[in-house]
Amino acid sequence: MTKIGLEIHCQLTKLESKLFCSCKANYRENKPNSNVCPICMGLPGTLPRLNKKAVEKATLIAMALNCSTPEKIAFFRKNYFYPDLPKNFQITQLNIYGDTSVGGTGEIMVGDKKIRITRIQLEEDPGRLIYEGSSSKNQITLVDYNRAGTPLVEIVTEPDFENPKQVREFLKILSDLLENLNVSDPSLEGAMRADANVSIEGGNKVEIKNINSFHDLEKAVHFEITRQESLYSRDIPIALETRHWDDQRKITISSRSKEEDLDYRYFLEGDIPWVRIGKDIQEKLKSEMPESIMSKKERYVTKYNIPEQVADVLSSDKYYSDLFDKSNDEQNAKEIANIITTDLMGLVDTREKREQSKLTSSHLRDLADSIQSEKLTRNSAKNALYEIVKSGKDLSEIISQLDLGNVSDENELLQIIQQVLSEEPQAAEEAKSNPQTINFLVGKVMQKTKGKADPKLTLELFKKKLG
Amino acid sequence: MNLKISALEYVEQVKNGNISAEDFVSATIDRIKNVDDKLHAFLQVNSKAVEQAAQVDKKVKSGEKVGSCFGMPISIKDNICIKHSKTTCASKMLENFVAPYDATVISKLKEQDAVFIGKANLDEFAMGLTTEFSAYGPSRNPWNTDYVPGGSSGGSAVSVSAFECVASLGSDTGGSVRNPASFCSTVGYKPTYGLISRYGLISYANSIEQIGPITRTVKDTAFMLNILSGLDSHDNTTIDNENVDYLSGIEAGIEGKKIGIIQEMIGEGIDHTVLSATNDAVSKLEGLGAICEPISIDMVKYSVASYYTITATEAGSNLARYDNLRYGYDFPVEGFEFNSYISKARTKFGPEVIRRMILGGFVPSSGHAGKYFLKSLKVKSKLTREVTEAFKKYDFLVAPTVPILPFKIGEKIDDPVALFQVDINTVMSNLTGVPSISVPYAISNGLPIGIQLLAKQNDDKSLLQAAHALETTVNLPEVPI
Amino acid sequence: MIKLVTEEEIEQVAKFMKIDVHDHKEYVEKVHDMIDFFDILDSAGVEDEEVTMTDLPLSKLREDKHIPFEDKLIEKLKNYKEHYVRAPKMV
Repeated sequence: MTKIGLEIHCQLTKLESKLFCSCKANYRENKPNSNVCPICMGLPGTLPRLNKKAVEKATLIAMALNCSTPEKIAFFRKNYFYPDLPKNFQITQLNIYGDTSVGGTGEIMVGDKKIRITRIQLEEDPGRLIYEGSSSKNQITLVDYNRAGTPLVEIVTEPDFENPKQVREFLKILSDLLENLNVSDPSLEGAMRADANVSIEGGNKVEIKNINSFHDLEKAVHFEITRQESLYSRDIPIALETRHWDDQRKITISSRSKEEDLDYRYFLEGDIPWVRIGKDIQEKLKSEMPESIMSKKERYVTKYNIPEQVADVLSSDKYYSDLFDKSNDEQNAKEIANIITTDLMGLVDTREKREQSKLTSSHLRDLADSIQSEKLTRNSAKNALYEIVKSGKDLSEIISQLDLGNVSDENELLQIIQQVLSEEPQAAEEAKSNPQTINFLVGKVMQKTKGKADPKLTLELFKKKLG
Repeated sequence: MNLKISALEYVEQVKNGNISAEDFVSATIDRIKNVDDKLHAFLQVNSKAVEQAAQVDKKVKSGEKVGSCFGMPISIKDNICIKHSKTTCASKMLENFVAPYDATVISKLKEQDAVFIGKANLDEFAMGLTTEFSAYGPSRNPWNTDYVPGGSSGGSAVSVSAFECVASLGSDTGGSVRNPASFCSTVGYKPTYGLISRYGLISYANSIEQIGPITRTVKDTAFMLNILSGLDSHDNTTIDNENVDYLSGIEAGIEGKKIGIIQEMIGEGIDHTVLSATNDAVSKLEGLGAICEPISIDMVKYSVASYYTITATEAGSNLARYDNLRYGYDFPVEGFEFNSYISKARTKFGPEVIRRMILGGFVPSSGHAGKYFLKSLKVKSKLTREVTEAFKKYDFLVAPTVPILPFKIGEKIDDPVALFQVDINTVMSNLTGVPSISVPYAISNGLPIGIQLLAKQNDDKSLLQAAHALETTVNLPEVPI
Repeated sequence: MIKLVTEEEIEQVAKFMKIDVHDHKEYVEKVHDMIDFFDILDSAGVEDEEVTMTDLPLSKLREDKHIPFEDKLIEKLKNYKEHYVRAPKMV
């Protein structure tokens, strides 16, 4: 049986400051080494100043993943030399003196598969390396420490996944959950990274490191299973080893350096006392926790009678569910859900588009109301939505500007109907006995009015006319 | 100019206009010029000290608000960062390191108008108890320059003892303030863990060390503590002392107090003159109305091994950052591979530091942690319980600060294990976090002996009262330099 | 007395701690003596002892606020074109 375990590193991108100092947590778009201070540069004499909110947010993640949360958490030093580590040790968490990481064991359902979570820990991100020089003689490494000290939550699972599909589903659930908790923006470059371990029946466990996005994680796992199966089928033993994900070539490569003395000499970080997160604080955190995706979905189905599939889409995306919850007033809930899931999704499917969008919840409310009161056809509403997202103008302004208002003047409509009947004599005849053909004729009227004809009124007038 | 005055006397005299800070600091600089060739207390003398003192005088004259130090010249152990000045840890590795920020204790002293007269010598990275391991040469004991001044804050103790400053800041990881204070006949204080912020103190063994003042009198220590102590948001391990005034009521005395004499600290290996000084001190304490009884603390036997295991482990990690990439000395990276570069760069460490790095790699390693490191942590826990128990019965504990007299430079430098044993009386208060103080008590054959008093955690104020009481019973000769 | 710790082991540790040690003998002997001294820990009888540490309430931790460092720190450190820190090549 194939076994896959994951170690997921997720940056707490919604924080203002780093884990142990007051430099910016969002290091992106800064000149190299401009977002640094004596603490995150590991200068002699500096001490870590633990970020309270980082502990709270990490605890929330643990709670949301149904993990146990201890009343005291501790930090440890993981000692190894690397140029991206300013102190040549990383401050992280472990459970060697009882459960002292932000999250202990837990489990989460992925479809009908139960995935066990081993632990959740809070730690600091290292800096970044840039390799320079072409010949081996002039090669050097440049280091940018802007990222060093960014708060990182590591989620470690048991090897409970059986195939890449389960991995993908888990990652979807996880990124939705992180976004819903408002702790992290999974779409930011480098915000989500992972290591995986993969073994197939009869083979050794292989670690894959350096996977820099969720997208690649699924690919890497898939590649590795295929590679191992191919070895197995040719009776070549699968080595117990660490491999790296090459994100250019999308393959795993055996790590050249033997993970020699991987003895991290973990010990307690004396500069950070154990932090008490008593039951009272935990309860308070829980009460402030955003509504879970599951509970949102349930609410949408039972309260608004929204179909399950639609509720699923709405609830799992925080952007949509926030819009929905803000704009609906029960009466128009179904219509709004409909607008979001059929028309809006194509307009704001990326982070950039969402940031540029001028749409507000009151726009949505106006749109839904106009459809319900038959001032706008669905078709016109779709055109209006496109304009709103682009310009942010009021719906009424857009209706007059684009002349989207319904044609509901009986005389005007009768004229157009007359025109259609004379153009389509055969259909007109047929329509007297076949209601399907009336729809065809209504469609013709729609064409002539660019979708603005009031469909109900048009149908009625046809019926009268054809007697 | 009389330089042989206490900090409190200095403050009084400048406040009253009897002396000027500028004259005093200038005379201090002259004194350093005269004696420091012999003593080598300083690695660096502040060339702007006189100018800074003159600024304070201006404030005094103009009636402006003046900080409580009134331009007092203070020496600072060279492992505490002063912004824009070199902080070397007496190591070649940090020969050119200029701190870009002030340690919290430095900010506090600046606010109180102290003048930093210079950076004091130490054993490299504070690892040692003789100051012989300074990469820039040893300091010498002003009582007899053939002898070690103790360490690692040797330069600090020498500078106070030889009137090269009024007070000093040292750091105490296992006795590094109290040991040289004892060897140089000054007061040395190791506060309750967390009482003084460590921000800006270059770590050696961060879980047990503290910055501590070295002064001429116990009252001076209380004065310094008033300035230095308290919560600091830059150091998560600091504790709230609710702004206790350590000077007020310092003359309360010790009548009716119970004092335990730690038997493990006056047993095998103790110098007989140190033992008789200790017995004498005990009778003086009794004369002051205290009740003294012998007490046994079993874990003391294991404390030195535990101490060196823990400190080596933490040092191995704390000193890992010295890879010469971000700061350090000139040594180009081209043509090297990472591991070979830093292994070469780090040979600038001196031999004692290298030994402890090797130890620090060994004792917590996966094959050996159970036998050495974990066991040491457990000894620390049990020792802490035993000491807590002892303080349920006794207000204070007493022992000689060091079981032997100062020894000659070079005498023990090649025998690390013999040096270990010298620490047996001081490491306990570091491992358990309790405060302790060394009070100058006697001179034997021209060499000083200090008596150590300990109190329970956060009882620093009472400890100073007891130390002051003991101090009043002593009348010592002047340093012969 | 049987030496529990081999010289190879100590040399290995020196390498692991990233210090080129030239005169192995000098270090090996002294470090050996130190480690032998630690054997006394075996008789301390502390197996059942728990490892403890002080703690502090969550509320005492630093608030999440961005405060940039006052100076351009990189200019005060070893730097390359005032931006990067240079390190040797990685293998």
